[in-house]
Amino acid sequence: MDSEPGDFVVGALMAIFGLIGLFLAARAADGEMYVFGLGLVAFAALFILGLIKRRYDRIDAARALVRVRHDV
Amino acid sequence: MSDAVMHGGVAESVLGPAPIYNDAVVKKFVIASIFWAIVAFLVGVWIATELTWPAANLGLSWINFGRLRPVHTSAAIFAFGGSALFGTSFFVVQRTCRARLWGGEALANFVFWGYQFFIVMAALSYVMGFSQSKEYAEPEWHIDLWLTVVWVCYLLIYVGTLIKRQEPHIYVANWFYLAFIVTVAMLHIVNNMALPISLYAAKSYSVYSGVQDALVQWWYGHNAVGFFLTAGFLGMMYYFIPKAAGRPVYSYRLSIVHFWTLIFLYIWAGPHHLHWTALPDWTQTLGMAFSIMLWMPSWGGMINGIMTLSGAWDKLRTDPGLRFSVTAVGFYGMSTFEGPVMSVRDVNALSHYTDWTIGHVHSGALGWVAFIVFGALYYLVPVLWHRQRLYSTKLVAWHYWIATLGIVLYIVSMWVAGIMQGLMWRAYDQYGFLQYSFVESVVAVHPFYVIRLLGGVFFLSGALIMVYNFYRTITSPTTEAPQAMRPAPIAAPAGAFGVAGE
Amino acid sequence: MPTKIEKDSVTGRETTGHEWDGIKELNTPLPKWWLYVFYACIAWAIGMFILYPSIPYGTGYFKGVLGYSQRRAVDAAVAEVAAQRQASMDKIAALSFADIRKDPALLEVALTDGRITFATNCQPCHGAGGAGRPGYPALAAGAWIWGGTLEDIQQTITHGIRSADPDARQSAMPRFGADGILKPDQIQAVADFVHAKFYGHPPLAADIAEGQKIFAENCAACHGDAGQGNPQMGAPRLASKVHLYGGSLETIVSQVTNPRMGVMPNWNTRLDPATIKALALYVHSLGGGQ
Repeated sequence: MDSEPGDFVVGALMAIFGLIGLFLAARAADGEMYVFGLGLVAFAALFILGLIKRRYDRIDAARALVRVRHDV
Repeated sequence: MSDAVMHGGVAESVLGPAPIYNDAVVKKFVIASIFWAIVAFLVGVWIATELTWPAANLGLSWINFGRLRPVHTSAAIFAFGGSALFGTSFFVVQRTCRARLWGGEALANFVFWGYQFFIVMAALSYVMGFSQSKEYAEPEWHIDLWLTVVWVCYLLIYVGTLIKRQEPHIYVANWFYLAFIVTVAMLHIVNNMALPISLYAAKSYSVYSGVQDALVQWWYGHNAVGFFLTAGFLGMMYYFIPKAAGRPVYSYRLSIVHFWTLIFLYIWAGPHHLHWTALPDWTQTLGMAFSIMLWMPSWGGMINGIMTLSGAWDKLRTDPGLRFSVTAVGFYGMSTFEGPVMSVRDVNALSHYTDWTIGHVHSGALGWVAFIVFGALYYLVPVLWHRQRLYSTKLVAWHYWIATLGIVLYIVSMWVAGIMQGLMWRAYDQYGFLQYSFVESVVAVHPFYVIRLLGGVFFLSGALIMVYNFYRTITSPTTEAPQAMRPAPIAAPAGAFGVAGE
Repeated sequence: MPTKIEKDSVTGRETTGHEWDGIKELNTPLPKWWLYVFYACIAWAIGMFILYPSIPYGTGYFKGVLGYSQRRAVDAAVAEVAAQRQASMDKIAALSFADIRKDPALLEVALTDGRITFATNCQPCHGAGGAGRPGYPALAAGAWIWGGTLEDIQQTITHGIRSADPDARQSAMPRFGADGILKPDQIQAVADFVHAKFYGHPPLAADIAEGQKIFAENCAACHGDAGQGNPQMGAPRLASKVHLYGGSLETIVSQVTNPRMGVMPNWNTRLDPATIKALALYVHSLGGGQ
């Protein structure tokens, strides 16, 4: 179970939030909304990258465990 | 008695071994809580300086008192207190349910990072000059919406974990945490209902106005205290005090009765913030009456917290972390007596708008909330990082005494200042004229503002000692747990539970 | 689910039989005192509901047996104190300034009223003790723009200066620079003259005759040949150590170019006549009253 179902749900949510952030920043009427929109984009991007990283970390760790058991 | 490990009468061989808990997210929230504590206390010290010597505003709009005050209150309540609540609630719910957090790693990480994003965005918005001008609800509509998303996920994780629990019954700490999560959601949504002027502008108008808005705001504000700062932290107390003391909770029956009476009565107390204003007389009476009835339900928590120490009073001498928790409960008792007293209309006629209110807030915030968090953190950090013990028990004691001194300086100076203000504002001379102008009362309380600032500096200093102690605890080889105590690596096939720890 | 009830050796109480992560609970009954105090608080609350305005219904609310109204209570308290002052305030309203000053006890009352009224209403602009601020005249320095007699002060407070009141004092300094009446170098010359002759500083120009001529032609009509001012017209005295907007050359240039003309509110809508008289007596007593 390298990918949990939560990964995809949260990942999809984050993509939507990132898009919302982009639109908010694009048409922002004041500095605060601009900062918030860009912040959302950055947050979503970093979070999705984090999800991907953790998936591959899990795969690597599981492979390492299997190797340990075989060595023993 | 057999060798079998028992849990509530059921052998572990039936229940199965303890699951691998998601402690990674707990660790994150613990670190966040410690970080935000320093931020909150530092900003507090700065705004106390600005009040005492206005030159400290430095002529800069971004750091003037008006903008920094909500940074301080939000950092203290939501960033510091909130992170501690998230972290400890996740720790407690997993262990008292014998279940790993529902929703997986991704959802838990979203709740953590999403909440930190909320904190940072809120603080940035204040410093940029944006505010809804509702106390403890200053963030504008878009940030409120974001918090709602994060909060719903928090509720899902919490309830999901309770549903998949292996323990038959739900421990009392979880009732308090759950009441906190659910009620805060309701409070947040109702108080922040507003119409944005545009989808793309950080400006909105509340759907309420006038005295109705005032009452919605203080229904929210008082229950932010009652559910965020009380119910949630009572949940924390109900786990960490019996755990650290190694004693059973004093009275199960008291915990049920005070839980239900507390959450029922607290909701009605809001009008006591609006005594002697345009709020109708009948609403003020309701607020006052319910605030008085609230006294014993609050003290139920105090009694359970303190009396759980029977059979272990000696630990107060030897375990300074536990000392923090028990002192917290003492301050809780004090504040929940002072509160109903200040809710009496005629007492409020003296205290309203004075620094006594500030003193009351801080005896609760520093004495109860911060201290119960410190007690929990001193227990949690060694457990989470698999250390045998804290780096230095002596430093904990230093923290305790310096912080306590800070609290005493703070609240006593504010009591004196507050009562002085109240008396000066209503003083008439022998001819029937008001005796003092407002500015004279400002001059009169100035020395007490200096003392309050000193109290805050002490409190901050104690927290910095705590940070140093935690840093050494986590990194020092002397605190490492011996090989036998470390959790054994799980010999599970790839993909069974996921990987332990981070 | 089977539960394992144990007996706690320290307290002698039994546990509930449940356990979570090592935490157990004792079966201790509710403390009696806790319960009784709780009931007493509930009884008190019910008592309050009966005595005071409490339960709402539809469009109204139960007014309470005592018929208490917060507004009435506050009004009564304020009226009580006002009644305490009434006799003295009536006398102050009726008597002339001269007669009030002849009565030391009454004067004491008037000055007390004046002091606190000043501190609450006037101090934010005019400064503590009438010290003044740039743009807000000093009241304790004997430098009166509109005259410093008790009657003058009373008039100024009552109707204000350039305020909304129909009887407000009005004055207008021509906008010599903004309206092009004088050219910039002319303004510089007359400012230098004023700064030297009246404020007592060394002049910048070698010869201030040019500035003096401009002053005589444009300014003396209001401010007087010797810069002595004209309280009838509200033209400030220039030959003085007290300067309304500051004593620098730049300030004079700025004021001549584009004059600032401050507004003092009329207090006749906020303060009663007796209090205004008391205020006039107080301001006059700060020093420099005429």
